Amino acid sequence: MSLWHSLRLRLVALWQRPDREMELDRELESHLDLEAEEQLESGLSPQEARYAAQRTFGNTTLVREELHAIWQTIWLERLASHIKYAARSLRKNPGFTAIAVLTLALGIGANTAIFSAIDALMLRPLPFSSPDQLVRIYSTKNGTRIGGLASAGGPSPMDVRDFAQLNHSFQKIVTYDTWRKNVSFGSSGGEPEQMRVGLVPAAYFEVLDVHPIMGRLFTEEENQEGKNYVAAISARLWIDRYAGDSAILGRKIRINDEPYTIVAVMPDAIPEWMESWRPGLVEVWTPFAFSDLWSEASRATRGYCALARLKPGVSLEQGQEDLSTIAAGLAAAHPVDQGVGVLVARVSDTRVGELRPMLFLLMGAVSLILLIASVNLANLLLARNSARQRELAVRAALGAGRGGLVRQLLAETLLLSLIGGAVGLALAQMGLAVVTRTHPERLSQLASMDIDWRVLAFTLLVSLATSLLFGVAPALTGTRLNLVDSLKQGGRSATSGRPARRLRNLLVVTEMAMSLMLLVGATLLVRSIIGLQHQRLGIRQDHLLKGHIYIPGVRYPNPGAITSFCDQFGARVRAVPGVIDSTITTVYPPNDGWTQMLGIPGHPVTRVQDIPSTQFGVADSHFLRTLGIPLIHGRDFAESDGVATPPVALISEGFKRRYFPTEDPTGRQIHIGPPPFLQIAPGANITDSADVTIIGVMGDFKNAGLALPSEPQITVLYSQHPLVNYGFKDVVIRTASEPRLLLPEIRRQLHELDPDMPFAEVQTMDEIVEAQTGGQRFTTILLVSFAVAGLALAVVGIYGVISFLVAQRKQELAVRIALGASRAHVLWLVLKQGLEMATFGAVIGLLGAWATQKLTSGLLFGVSPVDPVTFAGAAFFLLAVAGIASAIPGARALGIDPARTLRQD
Amino acid sequence: MLILRTLLFGPAHGHQIAKHIQRTTEGVLQVEHGSLYPALHRMERKRWISAKWETAKDRNREFKYYRLTQAGRKQLVRETSRWKQLASAVATVMWPALEDPS
Repeated sequence: MSLWHSLRLRLVALWQRPDREMELDRELESHLDLEAEEQLESGLSPQEARYAAQRTFGNTTLVREELHAIWQTIWLERLASHIKYAARSLRKNPGFTAIAVLTLALGIGANTAIFSAIDALMLRPLPFSSPDQLVRIYSTKNGTRIGGLASAGGPSPMDVRDFAQLNHSFQKIVTYDTWRKNVSFGSSGGEPEQMRVGLVPAAYFEVLDVHPIMGRLFTEEENQEGKNYVAAISARLWIDRYAGDSAILGRKIRINDEPYTIVAVMPDAIPEWMESWRPGLVEVWTPFAFSDLWSEASRATRGYCALARLKPGVSLEQGQEDLSTIAAGLAAAHPVDQGVGVLVARVSDTRVGELRPMLFLLMGAVSLILLIASVNLANLLLARNSARQRELAVRAALGAGRGGLVRQLLAETLLLSLIGGAVGLALAQMGLAVVTRTHPERLSQLASMDIDWRVLAFTLLVSLATSLLFGVAPALTGTRLNLVDSLKQGGRSATSGRPARRLRNLLVVTEMAMSLMLLVGATLLVRSIIGLQHQRLGIRQDHLLKGHIYIPGVRYPNPGAITSFCDQFGARVRAVPGVIDSTITTVYPPNDGWTQMLGIPGHPVTRVQDIPSTQFGVADSHFLRTLGIPLIHGRDFAESDGVATPPVALISEGFKRRYFPTEDPTGRQIHIGPPPFLQIAPGANITDSADVTIIGVMGDFKNAGLALPSEPQITVLYSQHPLVNYGFKDVVIRTASEPRLLLPEIRRQLHELDPDMPFAEVQTMDEIVEAQTGGQRFTTILLVSFAVAGLALAVVGIYGVISFLVAQRKQELAVRIALGASRAHVLWLVLKQGLEMATFGAVIGLLGAWATQKLTSGLLFGVSPVDPVTFAGAAFFLLAVAGIASAIPGARALGIDPARTLRQD
Repeated sequence: MLILRTLLFGPAHGHQIAKHIQRTTEGVLQVEHGSLYPALHRMERKRWISAKWETAKDRNREFKYYRLTQAGRKQLVRETSRWKQLASAVATVMWPALEDPS
């Protein structure tokens, strides 16, 4: 008979239990009746006949029981009774139960929380149809992704066009971009806002398979400059700004002061992380139209976004191979494509991005926590079981089989784990609420984190696995009883068996090892974050406020207009009470996204890769003073440097070190832009064929990110370089008091000058630095709390075990004291055991930390993943804590009164 | 096996089966009622026999009648042949001469 059939029958039986019982009774009854009738025929009275029938039949109850057993789900009923008993015994030991449940809840809760993060970031399907077909295409240079992880890094539009024409693997390939622009919504729509605007061809939505709620997609024709004044808006924007007006189509929206006709309302389907390298949800889209976009001039302009949808049944590898072949062909045909390759990645894999190593680290950490918690539970169970030896012995003597006892103990563990799981789930829920409320902006993916069925299943699984894995060993050792001994000795001097003790010691050693690993990881992260935040930016970081403005070309058609607007606005800001100084610039620490090719005297170049290229920025004459960058040599920019005077530049110390190591750079001429021999297609790069004169050397400041050393920097005046005097500018303001307090006044000044210009992306320098370390800080906080939790659990573990040992060795210790052992000696006896275990654990933990250094190395800054100071410090700390934890029971051992203890025996 | 064999003659209820076995073995095999019903129910669960409440021909009341199923028939054949093997084996040990016609 199949297992399934049997199970079904039993379940049916369980369901029909009353029916079945009635039927059994009826059958037996009818038998008895017939028997009685027969006896009646042999001449007995009805009463006597009945009795005789019953006598021949025997014990009806027994038969009924037996029939029952055939049909019933014995094991289920037994399980129920086991659980009932387990619940009773747990209730009777509220202390034990509370500790066990809390321990488990901590472990399971932490795991559930991290798992829901992983669920949200990696496991949940994308909100698009056939999401596995969606891929992102990156451009690579000599094998590495251009722009790194935090950039769109796509191929140039021309390459994408050729990919689209030549490939056999993709349904569609599309290139697009997102730009910050000033958006005004007209009289009813409220304040203008700087928003991230998607510049997309219609195919963008087709690739994603997102259809307008209302209206139509862009046409092919609208992708041409001049015909591109149409816009699609998101449903959210439609509701927020236009109150869901059904006559929205055909209305105008002003983007950078140019009117666009709204032609579509798109669903809110595209999540923010799709463009994770640029913060801000895209809620307005216009066609991707630049006059030179689809000409050879744009062949070298990489860094746009590229998205594609694979044909059904085509694998990622096939798609990659297809495009690689085409890319190789392009590299052969176009000089600017030399060494340029292509990388295809599933969109679903890109959503984790830079969080991936952090997630793995956290996952490792929470698994350790769960292990420690489980080990503690196993320890608790072991101790409890040996304390219950007598009870177990009595039950064994009354006929309980070992299997039954093990099952009983397992039922208790199961119940504990389930309760622990439930409490853990609640803890995780609270933790998630905190995280989603305070998460750093870069973790916007986490906003969608919540507890769904996958998380629930995970928690349940973890709980069950815990109870099985860590309940079985204690149950087995706990039930390895010598009946007679346990009963006779009354459990008084019964030492728990050798295996139990050894197991317990092993468990504590494991705990120690794992908490040391956590401790090391947390310490390393804390050290690197302290290092990062105390990085010398090269400026005075305090009391600096930064905002971004975009000066639209429509109303400010030439560089002269931009310069005069900036000068006016700068003067107005400086006049605001509380403002010490202010500069309008494109560069501020810790990042300068602008690199520029230069021609430097004494550095003749013949090959493209040898052309000097440094960080570049334009500013006004208040740049150094506002930021607090020291002038090392020469002179600062002056108000008198202007359109009429020769162009001047400041270089950083690093710049001097690299290009003028021995000579005085002041007075030297630098050519801004690539050397004349380099024939990049016209318009393909920003070239400014102006020469500038170096007037001074400024201190180095962070311009390549917090974690990287400063790159050579050159800063010029925008007023003197019309070709690079663009409309996007940052305003940096040094204030005397709390910077944000001045914000309303600064906004007012800007609006007086231009009511349609938003003052956007406002941050203080402190906030910028903090945001830069956001990811690491988040990880660090979590890891530190895990380490603390792990250490606490391990301490509880070692304390418990030593206390237990002291209790067990009470007589022995009493004898020693009676025989004149010194207090120090007794204390040492106890301490030694704890320290031995801790030392073993520490050694294993250090080895473990060494073995897992790959996990941490990517997240560290300025600290080696096997930093000896951290290793030694953490190990000593662990030993000290373990020592203290064992000293408390040690002190109790000192309090033993030998006379009383020995008399008790 | 005995129960299955009894049912080969047609459906019967518990009491009839017990009586039949008792009668045919001339009282040598007293079927314990305490083991008859568990056996019947076990066989019902194994689907060797099926059970149905039916009214008896001669009386006006319902009894639970058991009848042989196809699987039961096969089982009977299997058990019979196994029993024959066993019986002849036992016989060989007990009365070796009988096996030897000389």
